[in-house]
Amino acid sequence: MTDVAATQNLEQTAEAAAPKLVKMRRFGLEAGSTLPVSVATGAAILALWWIVAQLRIVPHLFLPTPMEVANAAISIYQDGYANASLFEHVGASFLRIFVAAAIAVVLGVPIGLLMGLNKWAKGVFDTPIEFYWPLPPLAYLPLMIIWLGIGETSKIALLTLAMFAPIVLSAQAGVRSVSQERVNAALSLGATRFQLLREIVLPSALPEILTGVRIALGVGWGTLVAAELIAATRGIGYLIMSASHFLATDVVFVGIGIIAACAFAFTFAMRVLEAWLVPWKGQS
Amino acid sequence: MLRVDKASVFFAARDGRAVHALDRVSLDIADRAFVVALGASGCGKSTLLNAMAGFLPLSSGSITLGGVEISGPGADRGVVFQKDTLLPWRNVAENVALGLKFAGMGRAERLARARELLRLVGLQDFADAAPYELSGGMRQRVGIARALATDPAILLMDEPFGALDSLTRELMQELLVEIWERTGKQIFFITHSIEEALFLGTHLVVMSPRPGRIVARYDLDFVRTFAASRDARAVKGAPAFSALREEIRAIVHESDGLRTAAA
Repeated sequence: MTDVAATQNLEQTAEAAAPKLVKMRRFGLEAGSTLPVSVATGAAILALWWIVAQLRIVPHLFLPTPMEVANAAISIYQDGYANASLFEHVGASFLRIFVAAAIAVVLGVPIGLLMGLNKWAKGVFDTPIEFYWPLPPLAYLPLMIIWLGIGETSKIALLTLAMFAPIVLSAQAGVRSVSQERVNAALSLGATRFQLLREIVLPSALPEILTGVRIALGVGWGTLVAAELIAATRGIGYLIMSASHFLATDVVFVGIGIIAACAFAFTFAMRVLEAWLVPWKGQS
Repeated sequence: MLRVDKASVFFAARDGRAVHALDRVSLDIADRAFVVALGASGCGKSTLLNAMAGFLPLSSGSITLGGVEISGPGADRGVVFQKDTLLPWRNVAENVALGLKFAGMGRAERLARARELLRLVGLQDFADAAPYELSGGMRQRVGIARALATDPAILLMDEPFGALDSLTRELMQELLVEIWERTGKQIFFITHSIEEALFLGTHLVVMSPRPGRIVARYDLDFVRTFAASRDARAVKGAPAFSALREEIRAIVHESDGLRTAAA
């Protein structure tokens, strides 16, 4: 007993100075932040762009300098572009995508849940969805314009269709992921069909539904900008298109930057929404 | 009283043949009885419990509770599962109160009742915690409290301590005996641990596979000895306890051997 204690003391004094910290060996990406590397890469790209533009390696008409793009951004922010302010362009795009997203969620979630629960609903809705979902939305944009005109309706209808399928499919997958034990537990606690749906099925499917909404926003945003390039009088895609007609490359760059910033904002917003709505995701 | 009368279950196997999972099992669970079903996996004990809970219809025979035939799941039978089935989007107290919510009880009233039950299982300080913040043993205690909330006639427990480490398991067994004594519920408890079966049950049925049937029945009083003395080690260390444990082990192994010989 005393011997063991003595040895331990010895070891402790020897190691107290600088204990060697160890970790389990692991395969693949090592732990730790990649932030410094990412920042350095970003700075390098910016520097490369500046050098290439400054030295006129590429004709100036095709590649403005970073400073010129920044100036163009400020002037668009202050004075607007192509008969509308920046706020009106961004607002027009946001209105389209949010109206379409709202319609797609309101229709898609209940239909998806129903398809996960009912053989008839699945049979009826599966056929049209499986047919149109693989189509690139721009393929039926001309049809939308012929049917619904060049205004907002055709663009919102196009976006709704593009966003509807991923939401339906994810809601359906969400229902399938509900564990039978959880359902049995609720039934043995006296749940009715409706209570089962509200208290068990819907919350269980919620993480998958939110993933579907996130995918839908990505698909929708890409479709929207492309549709605005083709047929619009306002919106971020239209801003880029009209700038390109005048070879205003700096404005095109600004437009691309805005599109990227918005897409990033959507992803961030969805993450916040997930953290708030499904804090249990990934827990046990 | 819950009565199982010549209950048989045939499942459809993947190749279309019928699998005989339960063979004319008869069993009475009297008021205040603690009935334990013991057997190796595949002996039909979970099938029997699922039929009692109403998750599974019988091929033939009947199960009645207080003379009324069981036709589906209901709040008159509380079920505790092996895997915890708590809802991660509700806190512990709300999980316990879930059955009361289904029954239409008001929020304040049902949460007050949930707190009482959490005190019974020793978790009064965790009412506001999320289920995934609790250990496995604590989650099972929440599961027991939840099953008791609707004041069922009987508690059906499907290997509730099977996933716990052996130390936690012994503490949970003692807690369960205490709950059984205090609430006076009838309990049907499934396990594949002979020691657990002997320690907990007032009645023990040993089951054997293919087809699932009862091969031996015992009336036990170890649990009453424990309830009086509160000395689990003395109960489990008694010569009578070890002798019976060996006897039942022989039965289980023999029926398992028959299966291997037949297969």
